[in-house]
Parts: sequence; C-alpha cells; structure tokens
Amino acid sequence: MKLPLSLLEAIEGYGIKGEDIIFAANGDLDECFRFADSVIAITKDKLIIARYPYIEKKEVRLGGYNSWSLEEAAQAEKPAVLFFELAQVEKLEVLRQVSTGILMGNIAGEEKYLCQFSNTRMESFMRLGRLLEKLKKNEEIQPEDLDIKKGKECCPKCGMIYPDQERKVCPKCMDKRSILFRIMSYFKHYKVRLAIMILCYIGTALLNLVWPYLSGTILYDKVLAKDEAFLQTFHLPQGRFVLALGMLVITMIVSKILIQGIGILQGVFTAQIASDVIAKLKSQVFESMGRLSISFFTKRQTGGLMTRVSDDADEVSSFFIDGIPYFFINVGTIVATCAIMISLNPILAAASIILMPILFTVSYRLMPILWHYYGKRHRANRRMNGQMNENFTGARVVKAFGREEQEMSRFDKNNTRVREAEVDVAKFDCRFWALYCFIEDSLSFLVWAVGSSLIICGSNMEIGLLITFSGYVGQLKWPLEFMSRIFRWYTNAMNSAQRMFEIIDAVPEVKEVPDPVRPESLRGEIELKNVTFGYEPNKPILKDVSFKVEAGEVLGIVGRSGAGKSTLVNLISRLYDTQEGEVLVDGINVKQYGFRELRKNVAMVSQETYIFMGTVAENIAYARPDATREEIIKAAIQASAHDFICKMPQGYDTILGPANRALSGGEKQRISIARAILADPKILILDEATSAVDTETELAIQKSLEQLEKGRTVLSIAHRLSTLRNANHLIVLDNGKVTEKGTHEELLAQKGTFYKLTKLQTKALEMRAVD
Amino acid sequence: MMHDMENAGPNLLDLEELDEEALKRESEEVLEMRFLNAGNSRFHRTGGGFLALKVGEKEYDRVGVYLTFPLTNPEEYISIREADEKAKEIGLIQNLKDLPKDQQEMIQEQIRLRYFMPVIRKVLDVKDEYGYAYWHVVTDFGSCRFTTHMGGDAVVNISGDRYQITDIDGNRYELPDLYALTVMERKKLDLFI
Repeated sequence: MKLPLSLLEAIEGYGIKGEDIIFAANGDLDECFRFADSVIAITKDKLIIARYPYIEKKEVRLGGYNSWSLEEAAQAEKPAVLFFELAQVEKLEVLRQVSTGILMGNIAGEEKYLCQFSNTRMESFMRLGRLLEKLKKNEEIQPEDLDIKKGKECCPKCGMIYPDQERKVCPKCMDKRSILFRIMSYFKHYKVRLAIMILCYIGTALLNLVWPYLSGTILYDKVLAKDEAFLQTFHLPQGRFVLALGMLVITMIVSKILIQGIGILQGVFTAQIASDVIAKLKSQVFESMGRLSISFFTKRQTGGLMTRVSDDADEVSSFFIDGIPYFFINVGTIVATCAIMISLNPILAAASIILMPILFTVSYRLMPILWHYYGKRHRANRRMNGQMNENFTGARVVKAFGREEQEMSRFDKNNTRVREAEVDVAKFDCRFWALYCFIEDSLSFLVWAVGSSLIICGSNMEIGLLITFSGYVGQLKWPLEFMSRIFRWYTNAMNSAQRMFEIIDAVPEVKEVPDPVRPESLRGEIELKNVTFGYEPNKPILKDVSFKVEAGEVLGIVGRSGAGKSTLVNLISRLYDTQEGEVLVDGINVKQYGFRELRKNVAMVSQETYIFMGTVAENIAYARPDATREEIIKAAIQASAHDFICKMPQGYDTILGPANRALSGGEKQRISIARAILADPKILILDEATSAVDTETELAIQKSLEQLEKGRTVLSIAHRLSTLRNANHLIVLDNGKVTEKGTHEELLAQKGTFYKLTKLQTKALEMRAVD
Repeated sequence: MMHDMENAGPNLLDLEELDEEALKRESEEVLEMRFLNAGNSRFHRTGGGFLALKVGEKEYDRVGVYLTFPLTNPEEYISIREADEKAKEIGLIQNLKDLPKDQQEMIQEQIRLRYFMPVIRKVLDVKDEYGYAYWHVVTDFGSCRFTTHMGGDAVVNISGDRYQITDIDGNRYELPDLYALTVMERKKLDLFI
C-alpha cells in the first residue's frame, strides 16, 4: 500500500507522520453509492478516516484487481479527514452486504457508519478489524498481520495473487510451452511406434504429392500425348503406349493401395498410443484425487471433476496424436505443393496461390462464429436434457400436484429453443460453406482460366499439367482448413492439460508428517485445546473449543444445526487440520499420527450412509477386506442387520449399488453400523446416526449402538436428546463455542440451553401423546 | 408436530427464564406473519448513520433490510430483521409505499446499500483466458474492469433477457436487457449465454 501524498500532507497537519500508520485499507464507495475513494488507516493510538471527494473515475477496477487504485484526479484533492482516538474505538466491524461491505465502528458507545467498499476490498477491511483487536489487547503485531496477501497464494514469478485461490494458475505467467513438453514426456515410451507413425504421415503426404502428377502430367502429356522420350526414360520399346498406360494404371492402383494401407497402419497405432496415454493420464488424475484432502472435493462440484478426469484426457491426447503430427505434415504439404507448382509453371502457380490467403482468412475468421452456434445448440440441448431428467426423477411431485401441462409447456419452450438453435446452426453452416466453396471454386476457375489461356496462347503449357495443377489446388484445401483450426485446438488442449496437471500436482492440505507415530493401538482419550477452525479463512466455525473425553467414555454433543458439531468430528479423524489450537488423541497431537493408524482407530457412522457397488458382505467388510465370514456375520448380528440380510434371497451375497436392490434408510444405516463394528475402532463417532430412521428402527439401532459403544470412546452428536441418555458427559455447542458442559444432572441444574431443549422435547412428546 | 417444535426450538434458546406461557407465545409468533406499517412502527436514522426501528414499545437500535423478491418485486414484502448474526425477523413491510415518504427513503437507502449492483450499459471487451474471463464494460458508474470465472455461475439468466454477472470477489453486475446491446457486444457474450 502506498499512501497518497495528499493524505500524508493532510495528516501531517495533525502531527501524524506516514511511518506511524500501521495499516490502511482503501474503501471504494461513498455514501451515495458512487465509486469514490477513501482511506481508513490506523496508527498506534488513532483511527484515521480520509474521504476523497467524488470525481468520476476513468476506470473502476473490481473483481480480481484488488490492489490499491486511487483515482489520480481525486488524489490531488484534499481529503476530508476524521480522527478517532483508539481508546474510544471499542470495535471495528465489517457488516457484510450482498456485494458490498460497510465498516462500522463502535465509537464512544455509538455504532457509527465509517465507510463502504466493494467485496473486492473486503479482505483488507476484515484485517483492519482484527488489527484493532490486537492493538487493544496490546498484542504484538506480526508482519503477516499486515500482509494482505497472507493466506492467499501468489504467483511465485510475478507476485500477482491468483485470481482463483483454488486454481493455482497465474494467467499472466502460465507457460504453455512447458505444458507442451510435459505432455510430450507421456509419449516417450512409444518412440518406435511414433517414429513409424511419422514415417506413415510422411509417406501419405508424399504419395498425395505424386498422385496429381501421375493422373495429370504423366497420363495426359506423356502417355496419351504419345511422348516417345518418355518411353525411352523407362527403357520401354518404341510405340508401346498401351503397355505404358498399363504400367501407369498399375502404379496408380499400387499408390492408392499404399495410401490406404498406410492409413490403416497409422489408425491402429493411433488407437494404441492414444488409449494408452489417455488411460495413464486418467489414472494419474484419479490417483492424486485420492491423495488429496477432503476439502478439495467439497470445494468443487463433483460433475466438474468427472469431466476433468475423462474429457480433458481425451482432448489432450487427441491433440497430440492428431493435431501435432498433422500440423507438421500439413505445413510440409503446403510448402512442398507450392514449391512443386512453382517449379512446374510459375505463372499458373501464382494463379493457384493468390487466393489461398483469402481462403485461409475466411475460414479463420468465420470458424469461431460457427463454433459459437454449435456451443449454443449444445447448451440448448443440455438445458432440455436437464429438464427431462428433472421431470423423470421428480415425476411423483409433478403428478401429485397435477402440473403435467405446465411441465409440458416448459418442455415445449426448451424444445423450441433447441429447434431454433438447430436452425441457426444450419443457416450459418450453409452460408459459411457456400462462401467457402465459392472462394474455393473461384480458385479452381482461376487456375483453369489461366491454364487454358496459356494453352491457347501456345506457350509451353499442356493439358496434363493443368490437370496436375488442379489436383494440387484441390489437395491444398484440407491443410488450409486444418491450419485455421489448429490455434483453437492448441489452446483448448493446453487448457485441458493445465487442468489435469493442477490436480496431478496439487498438494494435499492435510499432510502426513515425515516420521509419524505409529502406535499398535490407541486408548482413545481425546482432548481439544483452544481449537479454532473455519472452512474459509475469515469465517471461523469453531471458536476456541476445549474439552476432554477420557478413554471409554461417551460424550454427547448438543447444538442447533450449523453450530459446528459435524465440523468438530471432522477434526478428530483429521479430514481437516485446525487453524489454531490442537487436537490430542492419547496426549499426542493428531498431526503426529500416521494416517493409517489414526483412521484405523477412528470410525464414523453418520446420517449420510454410503453403500458401495458390491455385495452386502463386501460393504460390511469395507474397512477390513480380510475379515472372515464369521466376523462379518457377528458384526451384522450386533448391528441388528443379520435378520433382514438373511431374508434377502441372496443373503450376504446380495449385490447392492445404484442399479440393484434398494435398501431402506434404516437398513443402510444398520449396514454402516456393522461396518463400524467390524472396523473395531477405539474412537467411534456417531454423527446423527439415527436421525434418518423412524422411532421403532431408532430403538433397534440404539440397541446396536449401545453394543458398539462398549469399550470405546464415543462422540455422539444428536438432535434428539433421548439418543444421548447414556452419555457420561455432554457439551453444548452454540455458534462454534462450547457454552455448557457437564453431566446430565449438572446441565439440567444449570437451567441453560440443555435444560430448555430437554423441556421442549419432552413437551413435544407430551403434545404428541395428546394428539 | 414434533418436527415443527424442533425447528422452533433453536429460536427459543435466547429466553432468559423458561416461562411456559412465553414459550408458547413465542413459538406461535415464529409461525406467524407480522406486518409493519405506518400505524405500528416508525423507522428513524441513528446518529451513527444506521437505521433504527420502533415497533410498539420496542426499540431496535439497528435493523437490517432484506428484500424477499430482490429481482422481481423490490417494493413489496420487505423483511426487516435484527442486526445481529441470527437476524431474527421483526416484521414484513407489505408495501413500501404505505410508509411515510421520509421513512420510505431511509429504507430505499438501506436497500441500495445491501443490493448494490452496477448496471452494465456497454460491453467493450470480454477476453477469455485459461478459465477466466476478463471483462471491460461501461456501467452506470463509468468504465469498469473485472474478472469472472469462465462458465459455471458467473453469468446467470435471471428472467427473460435479464442477466446477472458475479465476479470472482462476489461483486455483482446487472445486464438488464441482452438485446439492448449491439450485435457485436452480444457476440462477445456468446461464450456465456
């Protein structure tokens, strides 16, 4: 941050020097919602608010442009400066609006509006608030407190903050070449086959070059024109033109067969190499996804990830197999064709080449528009498919509310859109190709016109040469069209490659320490010390949470939804790391344990049950695939799942999964409990394990859970307090803070939240009884 | 029934003492629609520049103004909520026009504050590079540059030809009518629309 001179001058009058300023933030809106600058700064003992007069900005910079941007004209003006003694400022608070923020100060007992800013500046104002807190508490200010970029990663090369923190790509510095070479390394193993392929490409290109010469010059000018000299060069007896014709035909047939043969060979190799490389890329991406922390998945849409794994690999590989070689081949073809044409007849060559740039430009400029139309059609189709999908899955609701007709008219609308898009594509497609063919035909006509007049004028021009030329001109069309496409193809492929490498290179946020503790078994004592955690840096979900659970005890966690209960248990199995404070298991920080040891000892039964594709037995033995049949059945009995499993026709061999037998919520829940029993963890986390089932099933599951709780440390989260009746201790979480803790009796005696909840729930039950 | 009570539960946690009658009253209140009008409430500005409200005997030092239909009906059913994190609803204003002029203005001001959204008048340039789009537009606040993600939710169709654009910092921009733009401008947006 560079403070404007006018500000420094203004505050100097009040005896404040520029170096006194600890931190300053740049507000960009005034109270009339115009983009006007203000600077809010703090010194050791003062809060300074400087508002610059409104002068229309030449250019407002928002999203992604979060460095200071004071308008020069405004900077020249004198700002209106306000001072507050820090002693009077109790608190600075940012009030988040939808896309702006307001800085509110609690000054001398009054809540005061201080300034306003766009979301782009949010971060620095939040920091201002935290700094004030630190100053008030007389805490040391660390350099990272002042660094607005802290917690935000920057491009190591140019220092720009990544526009998207999740994607560590600097658009300025992204090196497309290095990606190109990196992809090339995937093709290293196929050197021999690649060499053959390149030979094939060259062979095809050469044969293609020869073809027009054979079918034009040789056929017409030599054989049909009965050129004796031609026979002599091939040592054929004089006058035997039929023989020569025969040989020419055979040569031509052979060269066509060769072209086809090479094409097949090339196709086979392409298929082999491409699918190998695609498979390799895909498995690498999938592998690193497995390695990454859970936060990676929650921050992204699953659909997006799936396309990455499959489409990107295809895109990249096809570019390298089809794009790059053809690029060289086509450049070669163009150059060679032109060279041959010039050497055969410079005037005719000039006529053939003169319109080529126009052809290239037309396709280069108009192609993108064509793609736009294709994209539009694709989106219209997607929207229609989306609606169909929605309607089929939601058929019950549609029918129940009798909205079939409305849905039909909605479908008609989408359908019309698809039709219109289709028509647009066809229209533009026709126009584009008409224009393209027109230029192409003009080119042929030009060649024929120039060639014919040359023949008529009696220069050394012959009909066969003309046919050869027209063959070459025809052959140039495809490479030219290809060249107009290749740039876009290249960018797309590099983008896809970049996206894949991002995942392959991504560093998991939760990492195993180099030399982890690997105990044989754990006792199961859990302690949280001053834990603060949030999924996003500035929004703590848990604030300064501390508690301890002895080994073998049951701790109940109570709190309203969103209070941070589930977040709390995520920290214990180390799906996330704490930002402040520590989580101890058996007195050792969870960060010190090996992943395998920790997770083997922590099992979770949550309200979201997940059933994998596979048999019932496999699902139960998910955490311990080596479990014996006896152990599986035992676990199922303890989870009271044995009975319903036995009743299924295929028993434990019943295949579960999306397309197979559907289990009810309670059955799934019981399978996941059996899974946890079989895993035999020291620490068991029950996250609303029974909230999705009916009361009767709940009672049954409760019983199995009690079985499961024996000899383990249990953290049980529940809405229904009845679920927690066997908890040794309870904590109440509210807004990320532990507000109450103790035994049932202690909490009831406190007459706090827990007491109220108990009352409410018993009352609800009574009311139900009356009903 | 049980379900309703559970949902109502958290809102009751602030009660000082558990008074069965108060409990019942409050739980009924939660399920009730309350309207604020010129008769029962009065808005006024605070010295610090915020909006305060007096409903009956009750004083709220600072209140939040939330639109229930910010896009389709910004004048009606305005929800007035407490200023703290829980933002409990104090009441709804059925129609802003029913309030006295000066109070209408105060509320309008808060609405502008909360739903600030420059309107795009002209699209000068949209460049897409490596998954980001770099926009250069003219808004009713003058020329403006910002960055959005490509695809996803960066450009959302609100209704008909009206679009809303959200940049990577969460600033929002409105494009009131796509077809008010020139053909060339629309072509630049084709990537999104």
